[in-house]
Amino acid sequence: MSLQRLFAVSSVVFLAVLAFTPAKNALRPYRSIQREFRRVGAARAPSAKAAQQYAARPIAIQQIWLPDLDNRVDRCTTCHLGAADAAMAGAPEPFRMHPPTFHTPRDFARFGCTSCHAGEGLATDRADAHGTSPDSTSPILPASFMEAGCGRCHAGDSVADAPSLSRGRTLMETSNCHACHAVRGHEDFRADAPPLDTIALKTGGEWLRRWLANPKAVDANATMPNFQLGRDDLAALSHYLFSREAAPELQRAVAAAAAEPAGDKVRGKTLFAASRCISCHTVDGKGNGSAPELGKIASRATRGWLIAFIRDPHAFNPRTRMPQYSFADADVRDVVAYFEDELRDFDAPANILEPLRVNQTLAEKGATLFRSAGCFACHTEVKEGERFGPDLYGIGDRKATSLDFGRRADLQRTLPAWLAAKITAPRSFADGLKMPTFAFDDEQKRDIVTALLAIPAAPVPAAYRSAPPVQASIVPAGPIGELVSRYRCLSCHQIGGRGGDISTAPLTIEGSKVNRDWLVKYLGVPYSIRPILPERMPILKIPKDDAARLADAIEMLYVDPNVPTDPFAARPASDRDAAEGERLYTTFGCRACHIIGKSGGYYGPPLSDTHTRLKTGWVFRFLQNPQRWRADVRCPNYGMTDTDALRITAYLDTLVERKEAAQ
Amino acid sequence: MTAFEWARNTSVYRSIIRHGVLPTNRNRSLIIFENLFLHVHPVKVRERSLRFTHTYWLGGITLASTLILVATGVLLMFYYHPSVPQAYRDMKELQYVVDDGVFLRNLHRWAAHLMVIAAFLHLLRVFYHRAYRPPRQFNWVVGVVLLIVTLLLSYTGYLLPWDQLAFWGVSVGTNMAREAPLIGERMRFFLLGGNVVSENALLRFYVLHCVVLPVALLLLVSVHIWRVRKDGGVQGPPEEGARRRAQGADRDVAETPSAPRPLRPAP
Amino acid sequence: MTTPLEIIDSNDPVAVPWRVALVRPDSRPEVRESEERYVMTFPHLIVREIILFQLVVIGLSLAAILFDAPLESIANPLETPNPAKAPWYFLGLQELLHYFPPVVAGVLLPALVVIALVVIPYARINLESAPLWATPSRWKTPALAATLLALLALFGIFGCWPIVIPTAILGVAVFAARFETRFLSRITLPEWIMTWFVVIAVVLTVIGTFFRGPGWSWVWPWE
Repeated sequence: MSLQRLFAVSSVVFLAVLAFTPAKNALRPYRSIQREFRRVGAARAPSAKAAQQYAARPIAIQQIWLPDLDNRVDRCTTCHLGAADAAMAGAPEPFRMHPPTFHTPRDFARFGCTSCHAGEGLATDRADAHGTSPDSTSPILPASFMEAGCGRCHAGDSVADAPSLSRGRTLMETSNCHACHAVRGHEDFRADAPPLDTIALKTGGEWLRRWLANPKAVDANATMPNFQLGRDDLAALSHYLFSREAAPELQRAVAAAAAEPAGDKVRGKTLFAASRCISCHTVDGKGNGSAPELGKIASRATRGWLIAFIRDPHAFNPRTRMPQYSFADADVRDVVAYFEDELRDFDAPANILEPLRVNQTLAEKGATLFRSAGCFACHTEVKEGERFGPDLYGIGDRKATSLDFGRRADLQRTLPAWLAAKITAPRSFADGLKMPTFAFDDEQKRDIVTALLAIPAAPVPAAYRSAPPVQASIVPAGPIGELVSRYRCLSCHQIGGRGGDISTAPLTIEGSKVNRDWLVKYLGVPYSIRPILPERMPILKIPKDDAARLADAIEMLYVDPNVPTDPFAARPASDRDAAEGERLYTTFGCRACHIIGKSGGYYGPPLSDTHTRLKTGWVFRFLQNPQRWRADVRCPNYGMTDTDALRITAYLDTLVERKEAAQ
Repeated sequence: MTAFEWARNTSVYRSIIRHGVLPTNRNRSLIIFENLFLHVHPVKVRERSLRFTHTYWLGGITLASTLILVATGVLLMFYYHPSVPQAYRDMKELQYVVDDGVFLRNLHRWAAHLMVIAAFLHLLRVFYHRAYRPPRQFNWVVGVVLLIVTLLLSYTGYLLPWDQLAFWGVSVGTNMAREAPLIGERMRFFLLGGNVVSENALLRFYVLHCVVLPVALLLLVSVHIWRVRKDGGVQGPPEEGARRRAQGADRDVAETPSAPRPLRPAP
Repeated sequence: MTTPLEIIDSNDPVAVPWRVALVRPDSRPEVRESEERYVMTFPHLIVREIILFQLVVIGLSLAAILFDAPLESIANPLETPNPAKAPWYFLGLQELLHYFPPVVAGVLLPALVVIALVVIPYARINLESAPLWATPSRWKTPALAATLLALLALFGIFGCWPIVIPTAILGVAVFAARFETRFLSRITLPEWIMTWFVVIAVVLTVIGTFFRGPGWSWVWPWE
């Protein structure tokens, strides 16, 4: 080829290549996706004008910039163009409108996308944005763990509209994960495992061996995990535990109780039912499940111990959630007689409760094992910084490349897969690992992984953090505090967001809600306020003056200042029209859910004794906005005027019929 | 006359472009020696030096890639902050947002590789053609220094993306530098602006890569090309030189015979 | 009386610009034709330079369109990749580090290489251009053999096979060149040495690039 020809060709190719180089940019996937969106949007548009707008959309990168949230830039909407577009509901992905939730689609500009979904916000191509390449910093949260995103800002244990996350966080607390693994916000966590110094008084060597081998097989409610102990270790631990000495007064109490005569098992059975122990315990699987299964209790603990324990549980375990029942001495004997008659393991060997004779060498070995296997982490108080397992700070942001998959080559190389496998089979990764095995089902595992994925490496900026409002959750010190502790109100009830969830009635504003005198009677003999519910408060046999003191304290302390003492003050007299209130009661259809007299619906509590039970100020406030204190109240908010509310209050206040207590 | 011809006759045009339009040797000479950039060339060159096998154009390839690197480098500088961790984010922004950002960065990177390879091949070519012989010894030394500057440019640029590849590649390299006796530790501290590869190292490497080393490169390349000219043009395969020496020429090359030789008066 | 004609016998065209050729009766005059043909720089050289620039741009642009520059995750001082590799042009050195202590591999050898390169035009051996086996000499073979064996021993002691094996092969080639007639026998000693250096450098770099995995262990590139 002559030089001229070569020059001509090279010049043409040169210009052609230079003209062609922008193709690499023009062919970027987001551009064709945006052109596709033009077509889809125009096709789905409700009007020609809207179609025109879709067709004329410029092809450009879209982004949400959040300078206050770690200077985030989320470019997800470059492809997910219909996320905030109502016309795109049900459109094919990636154009579909975001499913409506509490924060979407209204809060896109406030939170962006990656603060909930993770993923690489800066990216404008799919693989990088979704974080599917191996060294991506932030893979997108899989759909089953979506709620982990909520937990990044919502720090409380229970997050509304995030049930999986809430369950996971609760499960971590009840399974005592925080006893071994430090998590921010739970630095002071102490497991509620019982102290082990009364084992020798309580049970036998055979029972203890069975328990240590597999707690869940012995008691389905057990929160203690399976430590997969070998035979020798089991023996050593048993000898160690039996070598521990209980306090002398406990030894005396148990011995004395063991010497007492047998009780009346028929009376005991009735008492057992009345005491509603299954509010927390289970019998043959029926009951609440937050306390041990009692179906075989007589083969689990000795008679003397049972009697002494029920008489004073707090002496044996100051941190137990079981309240102090004010039983008579004979009552307890009767109940335990009932246990020994019916609630025993009929297949157990005769020596199941026979105490172990301690071998000192084995006991010493067991003492070492008690520390090295991690038993101490739950059964003793552990200070911050001394926790047995690795801490979980920032576990939700760990990169998959920094995780040790050990032997588990079968796992997907992602953080959720690693976490799920760790929870399922902790020791399968390598030899020498010490984490015990928990018997979680698939849903529970998913919940826990969600809760773990919600733990960020660095907390979100303060403006974005949403901690639950903790109201006055104070339990006063002094005699009132002792009473609350004695009867363990917080084991079942919540005050200000803290407490148990066995009762559905929080006591936060109970003082503004119920009349004092009624409360005193109720505490003496609790009855079923809402007949549709099978549960009611156990009969703790609270003595009258204790009940009076408690009721006074509740009326004084647990109030809502917005509830007026007298809602009719400074209102015209016509507002106190009970007849008109009765008419309104019918108009609003309250009968559908509430009983007055003999008729009405069973859904809500009966209102026959409103005057006795409830305070007028509270009733008025309730009628104004039933969801004022709890968002999940089912009574509809009719938006009624204050006048109507007052009239209905006046009517209800005329109802004094008191339902007899059902035994 | 055509519009082009008319334009070429205006006084504005002729104040800028001073040579005529006719293809005379005079005009061709003027094009060369009245141009700042071109007048490093002689007005006439040996025909055999135009052949591809004369030098394989390796010096030219190196220079071409240098020009591409400077152009793409300046454009990249518009998008880059030499701070941690903004540097990495800027690389991502180039990839995700900047129009033709990927192309720009790719071009810069492959041109850098080409420059290193071409410089090395150029060195080999000069060696195997024995073109380092007198009077070109010093130019060879300048060339070796240029090769080192090229490698340093590549190395300082390597750190700038601030990714794992960059960070650890430079860590390994500076750890090697530490092994030099006496000055090793100090040299490493000077390079890094500290004891570890950190923001200071990034800033230093950035300044080295964008200012110090390009200036050094520019100066040395100027000297290098100037010396080529002064030493009589590029020298190709040694056969010609040998043939010429066999025929009695005292030096491998002669001044272009078209330039008049200075006449000395009789003693 | 005029001064006698000074006859200077010289080849120096500057000192003696006018020449008189003495033609002996029995000799035939030969006109030394200049084989040099000169052409105008513009357009001949300039157009070639432009074409070269265009070809380089075309080639690089195509490479830039087709192949993406790598970008891994953000630098993390707490997480060392395994292996941590230097840029490709230093991989030869890094491979050498595997065999020699850092002072040698990282400082001494590179410095020696640079010094050797710089010294090339000033060493007499590089200025003479006789092929290695052109002049027979009694000491050439033993000297070469001794040097080769010393090199093999030196690098062999350190277990540096990437140097030993190519050295051995080239050593065989050096001696075989003696009996070859067309190409190998015309290679000069400096060219042998440079070739040896280039081969070693390429082998080391290739090994460092493709054959080294975690912990700088040997891996096959297809693994």
